[in-house]
Amino acid sequence: MSLRVIGANLIVSIKSFYREKTAVFFRIAFPIILILVFGTIFMNQDNVRFDFYVQDLDQTNSSAELVKTLELSEKFKITNVDPAINATQYAKKNKLNLILVIPKDYESSLIQRMKRNDPNASATITYIYDPSSTSVDTKMQILNSVFAEINQKMSGKPSFITPVETSILSSKYRFIDFFVPGIIAMAAMTSSLFGAVNVNAELRQKGVTKKLSTTPITRTDWILSNVLYQFLLSIISTILMLLVSYAVFDVSLKLNFWLPVFVVLDVFAFVGIGMILTRVAKEAESAAAAANAIIYPMMFLSGTFFPVEMMPGFLQKFSRILPLYYVNEGLRASMIFVDNMMALRCSVIIGVFAAVAFVLGIMTTKWEDG
Amino acid sequence: MTKEAEHAIDVEKLTKRYGNLLAVNDISFTVRRGEVFAFLGPNGAGKTTTVEIIETIRRPTSGKVSLLGMDVTKKKRKIVRRIGVLPQGFSSFDRITVRETIRYYSRLFNCRDTDIDGLIELANLKDKSKEQFKNLSGGLKQRLGIAIAIVNDPEVVFLDEPSTGLDPRARRDVWDVLLGLKKKGKTVFLTTHYMEEAELLADTVAIISKGSIVAMGSPGELIENNANYLSLTLQSVDEKVFEIVQKMGFEPVNANHNNIKVRVEHPDDIRKILNAIKDAGASFLNLDVRKPNLEEVFLKLTGAALREDLAKEVA
Repeated sequence: MSLRVIGANLIVSIKSFYREKTAVFFRIAFPIILILVFGTIFMNQDNVRFDFYVQDLDQTNSSAELVKTLELSEKFKITNVDPAINATQYAKKNKLNLILVIPKDYESSLIQRMKRNDPNASATITYIYDPSSTSVDTKMQILNSVFAEINQKMSGKPSFITPVETSILSSKYRFIDFFVPGIIAMAAMTSSLFGAVNVNAELRQKGVTKKLSTTPITRTDWILSNVLYQFLLSIISTILMLLVSYAVFDVSLKLNFWLPVFVVLDVFAFVGIGMILTRVAKEAESAAAAANAIIYPMMFLSGTFFPVEMMPGFLQKFSRILPLYYVNEGLRASMIFVDNMMALRCSVIIGVFAAVAFVLGIMTTKWEDG
Repeated sequence: MTKEAEHAIDVEKLTKRYGNLLAVNDISFTVRRGEVFAFLGPNGAGKTTTVEIIETIRRPTSGKVSLLGMDVTKKKRKIVRRIGVLPQGFSSFDRITVRETIRYYSRLFNCRDTDIDGLIELANLKDKSKEQFKNLSGGLKQRLGIAIAIVNDPEVVFLDEPSTGLDPRARRDVWDVLLGLKKKGKTVFLTTHYMEEAELLADTVAIISKGSIVAMGSPGELIENNANYLSLTLQSVDEKVFEIVQKMGFEPVNANHNNIKVRVEHPDDIRKILNAIKDAGASFLNLDVRKPNLEEVFLKLTGAALREDLAKEVA
């Protein structure tokens, strides 16, 4: 191993990188854009003001008060619908996913119950809704709980069960906190794998590898240079991703030594796999195709974009054989839950995998043509 | 002097097979220190296979190859430090400049005192030193490749088809650089299929055809030994001349523009032909007498080799 040789390779790699603007975009800007886009989508879900429509058939002070109560429960933006029209037709025509219909006898029933103490007097509120809408369930649940509260207050007795929330996390855990570690792991993986495959297949096809084989550079020097270069890129890109995440979304991720540990293991593992693919696939194109075949299942099934628990059982089992799963789990264990034992377990698993991939990568890399 | 000191390269009974294909067939030769040795042969003759075995890139099927006294199959690490290689179809990192590329290779060899400016000057790349590799023309790329091949001040330089695919002007420029190497006293192993290149640059030429060496010697010796004749061209002859020459026992060949070519063994034959034409009252406009060049030797030898193979197959 020669540090001077590794240094020379690093200089060439870094210069080639920043002179190729598309590479810079995909490596540095693309993951940040992903974080911004997904972060914004799911951030809005946290503060969303649901809107729905009300058709007040009663048109009395009491019914107006009910609408006001609903509006005041912070999350709703309510639009009134003309009581004279057919609400179902109106919803269909205007693609509304929820119209709440207050019955004509609302006030009279209320008086019957409150003033005359008639326990049989009640009001039926109708939801006219579109079941194919994804948000309508949530809206109806919230409305149900508001109505339950009103009913409870009318009974005049204080509530017996009062739920209090105590999070296992020190601060509020949001989707973005889940998402950012996944993107860090994914960015390091794709860059390492594609970097190793593209650079090596291209250099071999162009004959640069042949020239290199007549110099004192060794296979270990070469692969270590690749790993070091990808590690540098990953560190830079990770720092930028975290800066944006803290600044824009105020994430509550914890930074500790596990972050660089997982990034470096991620890089080692996937540079190693890239080296093996380069050797197995003869042409640059087939190597890239093989890399894609590895990247996509890894990206979608190892919990990068959504939790593995959301998948059916057999896919969850499958995800446990994917190396990226352990990087994701390890990074989340350390950055969200500060669970050192879990992080250690994940790091051992991915560490063993990385060592095997790296050694196989060195063994399969060939300078000579035989 | 010991054998190792005198010979830069020693190849004994080298054979290389790829499956059923016999690429190099039991060849032996030596390259003296300080000479320019050219391996001349058509495409597919086995030139690159041979040179890549000597460069340690490929492994021989059988035979022994020593380079600077070291076995190429055993001492790769030591050998590569003392040789310089321009592989066939040389290429490098697209977005790295000429100067940076030279510095990169100098670092690979751990050379701290490489004269980068001197190399740029030798390859005549001064105006292009800040140009990225991908923007260089074919000739410039080859010249950069040659500069890189000597970045470690090697004892033996291998140049595999340094001017293939270049236009005549670019080829001349590459030859200028090679002449510069020769002047520096480097041992140069050159493969080429351009006779002119071998004739101009080489001290020793080995002609290889179908994996075997068919002739070897200095360009002068090869011509002397294999093409000991003169080419007489008679220009704008009238119709009778062809017949006259044929009747004298020569084998005239019709060339274009009413020219005929005759191959003669002796200068005296020329006088006889001219007299015969004069006596018959025939005429011609002009004549040209030429000694054969390496190209004719090559065609003659590889043609003969082809016929030998045919003969073997028939037998």
